[in-house]
Amino acid sequence: MERYDVAIIGGGSAGLAALKQLSNLNKQAILIEAGKKAGSKNLSGGILYSKKPKHGKTYNVEDVYPEFLQDTPVERRITQYMLHATSRDKVFTMNLTAAHEYQANFGYSVLLNKLNGWFAKQASESAGRQGGGIVSGVHVRSLSWQEEKTVIETDELEPFEAKAVIAADGVNSEVAEMTGARAKFTPEQLYQGVKVIVKLPEGIIEERFGIGPDEGAAHLFAGDITLNHIGGGFLYTNLDTLSVGAVYHYDSLMERPSEPYTLVDALLKNPLVAEFIKDQVAVKEEIDKNMPKEEQLRTRFAVSKLIKTWNELRDSYHSRALRKKLIESGKYKSEDEIKARLDSVQNELATKYDTKFVTDYVELEYGAKLVPDGKRCAMKKPYYKNILFVGDAAGRGVFIGPRIEGLNVGIDDAVRAANAVARAIDRNNFSTQYMGESYSQSIEESLYTRDMKEIDKDYLKIFLDAARDVPKDIIGQRYGMVFRLMSSGTLRGLAVGFANILGYDKLLPLVESQDTYVQVPIEVAEKIGRQFQATYEPTIPTIAQRIARLKYDDDRVSHIKVLNPKSEFMKKMVTLCPTFCYSMEGGNVTLQHEACIECGTCAKETEWRHPRGEKGIIYQYG
Amino acid sequence: MATTTKDLNVAVIVKLEPDFSEGNVSYNADGTLNRAETKSILGPHSAIASNAAFYAKVKYGARVAVGTMGPPIAESALQQAQLLCDADELHLYSDRIFAGADTLATAEVLKAGISKVEGGKVDVVFSGHRASDGETGQTGPQTAWKLGYTFLGNVIDYNIDLESRLVRAKRLISLQGFYDIIEEVEAPLPVFISIDPSYNAFFNTVSQRLAFEKYQKEARSRAENYKQFLKVLNTQQLGIDPKLVGLPGSPTIVYKVERIPKAKASRKAEVIDGTNRDQIARVVTNMYEVLEGMVIK
Repeated sequence: MERYDVAIIGGGSAGLAALKQLSNLNKQAILIEAGKKAGSKNLSGGILYSKKPKHGKTYNVEDVYPEFLQDTPVERRITQYMLHATSRDKVFTMNLTAAHEYQANFGYSVLLNKLNGWFAKQASESAGRQGGGIVSGVHVRSLSWQEEKTVIETDELEPFEAKAVIAADGVNSEVAEMTGARAKFTPEQLYQGVKVIVKLPEGIIEERFGIGPDEGAAHLFAGDITLNHIGGGFLYTNLDTLSVGAVYHYDSLMERPSEPYTLVDALLKNPLVAEFIKDQVAVKEEIDKNMPKEEQLRTRFAVSKLIKTWNELRDSYHSRALRKKLIESGKYKSEDEIKARLDSVQNELATKYDTKFVTDYVELEYGAKLVPDGKRCAMKKPYYKNILFVGDAAGRGVFIGPRIEGLNVGIDDAVRAANAVARAIDRNNFSTQYMGESYSQSIEESLYTRDMKEIDKDYLKIFLDAARDVPKDIIGQRYGMVFRLMSSGTLRGLAVGFANILGYDKLLPLVESQDTYVQVPIEVAEKIGRQFQATYEPTIPTIAQRIARLKYDDDRVSHIKVLNPKSEFMKKMVTLCPTFCYSMEGGNVTLQHEACIECGTCAKETEWRHPRGEKGIIYQYG
Repeated sequence: MATTTKDLNVAVIVKLEPDFSEGNVSYNADGTLNRAETKSILGPHSAIASNAAFYAKVKYGARVAVGTMGPPIAESALQQAQLLCDADELHLYSDRIFAGADTLATAEVLKAGISKVEGGKVDVVFSGHRASDGETGQTGPQTAWKLGYTFLGNVIDYNIDLESRLVRAKRLISLQGFYDIIEEVEAPLPVFISIDPSYNAFFNTVSQRLAFEKYQKEARSRAENYKQFLKVLNTQQLGIDPKLVGLPGSPTIVYKVERIPKAKASRKAEVIDGTNRDQIARVVTNMYEVLEGMVIK
């Protein structure tokens, strides 16, 4: 049997950071990733932060990857952070940029397929020098122990042995389940997030959002777009795409199930969002079926090729870097020449093939993921024997109002875990008392652990300041008292102190309610919101079209088994599965796994595994 | 002659072919390929052959050489192949007199080229199943014949015993009317392997996977500087008799290409759109009948 010092299970941002950190400490480690390559199964909102806490230390992405930002495929540095309260065509906007910048060095919008690909490249180069590296397309099936060493069995490879294991296998951690280190998360501990990637040329994004080439905008939404659920919507600008999504309290969805995509659709239909996403779109004309077969085929190829050229040229024309590249390559002499060529292609499509150019929007990818709410589910002792749990696998997501952070939490955890493992290797002591406890103590010092436990009064003040313009009578009897208390510095300190004594358990039902997420924003928008009108109606793809556009390596065998096809929970899955994998047949819930995007929404009452290596969803953006 | 040590030398022969994928391919009004408007890429079968050579590199630490015959632009096929198999050497056999070659004349050039690799000590030669623009599937076998190597066609898996210098290969064949029969054969090196399109390399230990990663990384950096690995060889350098290559060496010529006449449909198709229950019930009944007919009682 092959032997290794450390096995990291899961190649998301956290697992990769653990590998990089161990290599930075000159330790040998291997990382096992089920996807075809790192990043192909990862999805985030997503903004990646780097923090500078007032107290204590945070391990940031740039601490792990010294080359970070040199050629890293991050999207845009977020410089505007807005919260919108919506009610039909009315929107009230608050500027929360100060909240975004609070204790932060920076926050970048990111797409995980690209970003984790880059992390993987850096981590595997460093790990290679220590005799380790990344092994992708391999799915861990079971763990057992032989003389205190873990024997790892996979679906693909011969078994191998490791002295220490870092479990970074996400919110639906199979390692946690196999070992019984923690119970499966329950709906009250989770959020369900659904996201679509919208195509929009670089230059148009900058013009529309009023941002420069190195800047980005984040827009958050609450109010009627939530369809009365507890949660909200978001829109982040990427380099040449937008991430538009909805994150909802799973408990709230269980109470009154709505199809997950309807929550994104509600957001896309909002007039403000519709105007943000709109673009010029080429619509192919139906090919005349009376033409000879060959002529039909030829036309189809010709139109496909021209539309491809038009899209590429248009993207280049609207991108500073690509425009420059085209001119430098000598293909075009000037911007005007690119524009002239673009116009001529468009003209050819319109006149020769009757292609229409309309105002609409283009979706590139649909995805969904469960997000653990660390306040409710962070593991108290994130270890089991010689296994350390990090990031989502340990239930460590930060959820505070509009602030949702997971990537940077996972990276911070991973560095702490890697440090604990490195220390254990030096002493050849992988016991829970030595390795597990030292990791556990380390994460107690993390800024994020504090955020999962108590309210930060300075962060709260930013919200109160931003809400200054909201007439107090709207907040009304319900929160008037709270507001008055909080507007005075001394009293705020006292109030937060009191609240923290009560603890999140008692506070959460008050703070995270339909009232705060839905009713208050609606009232605010109705009374003082601006009116918006969309200039077009976005053609929203059906869920079938969205699934058809996704890339899968289909496995014939289902990775999910329904345990009780008659349970109330499973019946709700018919509505709550983001890709419609469940249906009712004669009183039984049946599963067709082919469209599964591995979010884990159904995991609580199913035998849930990730698909075998390389199989299942392959996100192109993530 | 093959090597007698535990080293393994392999060669791959590849071809630059038109990219037939939608959005990239262009046709003339008469239905023929518009070569000027269509990009060329490493042929899909050549890519699979390159993957098979990479397997030898990862598993046996083989030295890999890639060769192709063609005009200077064909070096892009070599670069793409290098990216796939981390080739140590790239050989472009290029000479004006090679133009117009049929499969036999091409095989003559490839034979001469392979004989130049490692002083002629090549243990395994890989080729694709066929070219996507020629479709004959003859060049591989003819090259094997000219080299005097044992030819193994339609190979889907192979393993080599470096001690005994034996190769064990699985071939996907049809036999006595049955398709998809897997035949396992053993042959002494050197061999010529034509890779089946369904070939898929598999590495089953962590260390092999790590080696795979390592060589893949090396391949990326090598392919970026592929010219450092490239040798261009002409008739003289290859030591070929000009009478055996190009048009003079080609006993066959393509006289005319005709469309394959469409076979008469033997099946009947009926559109059932599933808008009402009766229609769906009909589909189920039909399927049931068909499936029942297939059960051997």
